[in-house]
Amino acid sequence: MNTKTIAQANTVSLQGLKKWVLIGIALAFLGLFIVIPLIAVFSEALKKGIELYFASLTEPDALSAIKLTLITAAIAVPVNTIFGVIAAYAIAKFSFKGKNILVTLIDIPFAVSPVIAGLVFVLLFGSQGLLGPFLEAHDIKIVFAVPGIILATLFVTFPFVARELIPIMQEQGTDEEQAGRMLGANGWQMFFRITLPNIKWGLLYGVILCNARAMGEFGAVSVVSGHIRGMTNTIPLHVEILYNEYNFTAAFAVASLLAILALFTLVLKSVVEWKSRKE
Amino acid sequence: MGITIEKVSKAFGDFAAIKDVQLEIPSGDFIALLGPSGSGKTTLLRLIAGLESLDSGKILFNDIDYSNKTVKERKVGFVFQHYALFKHMTIFENIAFGLKVRPFKLRPSNQEIKERVYSLLKFVQLEHMADRYPSQLSGGQKQRIALARALAVEPEVLLLDEPFGALDAKVRQELRHWLREIHEKLNITTIFVTHDQEEALEMADTIVVMNQGQIEQIGSPDEVYHHPVNAFVYRFLGRVNEFIDSENEVTYIRPHEVVLRKSAQGNSVPAKVLHVHSVGSLVRIQLNRLDTNALFEAEVNTEKYQEIGPLKKGDLLYATFSNLVAFGNEQKEALTAIL
Ligand SMILES: Nc1ncnc2c1ncn2[C@@H]1O[C@H](COP(=O)(O)OP(=O)(O)OP(=O)(O)O)[C@@H](O)[C@H]1O
Ligand SMILES: [Mg+2]
Repeated sequence: MNTKTIAQANTVSLQGLKKWVLIGIALAFLGLFIVIPLIAVFSEALKKGIELYFASLTEPDALSAIKLTLITAAIAVPVNTIFGVIAAYAIAKFSFKGKNILVTLIDIPFAVSPVIAGLVFVLLFGSQGLLGPFLEAHDIKIVFAVPGIILATLFVTFPFVARELIPIMQEQGTDEEQAGRMLGANGWQMFFRITLPNIKWGLLYGVILCNARAMGEFGAVSVVSGHIRGMTNTIPLHVEILYNEYNFTAAFAVASLLAILALFTLVLKSVVEWKSRKE
Repeated sequence: MGITIEKVSKAFGDFAAIKDVQLEIPSGDFIALLGPSGSGKTTLLRLIAGLESLDSGKILFNDIDYSNKTVKERKVGFVFQHYALFKHMTIFENIAFGLKVRPFKLRPSNQEIKERVYSLLKFVQLEHMADRYPSQLSGGQKQRIALARALAVEPEVLLLDEPFGALDAKVRQELRHWLREIHEKLNITTIFVTHDQEEALEMADTIVVMNQGQIEQIGSPDEVYHHPVNAFVYRFLGRVNEFIDSENEVTYIRPHEVVLRKSAQGNSVPAKVLHVHSVGSLVRIQLNRLDTNALFEAEVNTEKYQEIGPLKKGDLLYATFSNLVAFGNEQKEALTAIL
């Protein structure tokens, strides 16, 4: 072997070394911050047996938290899906003044801390708030009640669908819609037969992420909820209360629901990505 | 359907894309909008289709004002530059689309739709492609499907935006003949956009030469080629040599009109060969005028080349420029006024 090939072999093995070091770091990081905590959640939850696990999930306060979370998601996700599609459509397919402002506005929930978002609602709708006297006079309760939780969730999750769709729609342009128009399709036919099928995977992806966030949101919801047990607690808030009461097994049991949701979301997300790549 | 375009203008912001265009298209005509990139060809086509709204002027179909009518009312078929086939639909569904979106009362039965789609597929010679998706077709096949889809709704006017722009030379040639045949069979008024002068000359009954949002000349291929009204049209329709004399007067001649000889004759000009290359049955020769030192090109067929050649760099020849044309400014204005 001459010196040149030795040098080459050295650089190759150095490259290989670099690669494995980087992969190792990434894996260690993921293990430390994601896999181990995930295992911890489930092992803590099941530590005192499967019976206690299910008991923690079926006691009335837990059930009510699960129910509220489902209701919140059932409202926030469809509303934001419709809003997201409309906003993305407007931004991607039309040119108008103030388009950039609209895009920036959509991003606000990503930029603002959820706690601040929650506080804004308290300041608006709370009894000391701007609209407080009016709401009180009409006996409408928003803050520290279910409507506040839904509003806060709507706010926090509204960019997901729009953000996902804008680049997809922009890339697709308006050619197919125009062809549809030339062939006599009306607005609805164009949307349901052309636009929607073209964005379906992106839309599903956005909806999945939106749902995961709607169910898992803590900060904004925590501020507006008032933590009334059995009334205004969502799953994440319920977990916190249980934990603060040193009821670790129950806390982890309920938390495991969110972990399952996360895993489920990841699987669904991969399926959608795989499907859309295949098309 | 006859189309009249009356003093039509269209601006995008401050930019005037179409300026005061006047055009009369008789029913059944096969017409080419020819012009360089950005000259407003697509914009004019979209205005006719109703995809773009007019700023001023009128568009009449069979002498009825259609300026404010919707796309749907115009009964226009449009073939887009990049086909714009529906990616998520099969070829069958693509062609059937225009029939399926009709309101219930006007919609043909499924059986009728099926028959119509298959007869169109047969018409464009792609019967076995019904179940494929657009991504599984070649460019030429996509183009034919795009045409079938436009024809499915039985339009009275067919508009095509650079129908062969994205295809290779051989497929282009085939499709040109094919489109011409289809026009002969259906005889619907057809307008196609191109920036390829050869394509326009070969296919169209009428050529509309456009430049910077305006029409420079309207005429048969023969007229625009042999009687161009101005330097722009002359230059755009073929290869040209441009000579500037001492009074700054510009004269033009096409390479194939330059006569080359081995010996001086009459008012011939001595010239030195710079480069020779053959394209098919033609030979192009780049030369240098020894009197003015200007460069020019001559084009001869292979027979003629055998008479004067073989040539190599540095050979001396005598060139006669007997068909020089000039477009003085007054002359240009006079000609535009006549039109
Ligand atoms: N929607 C639009 N907004 C702004 N400007 C436009 C728009 N559509 C066209 N233009 C401008 O109008 C001019 C004419 O455009 P058009 O597309 O009609 O040209 P064209 O002759 O079809 O060119 P090409 O051969 O490149 O397709 C161009 O300068 C173009 O930039
Ligand atoms: Mg164009």
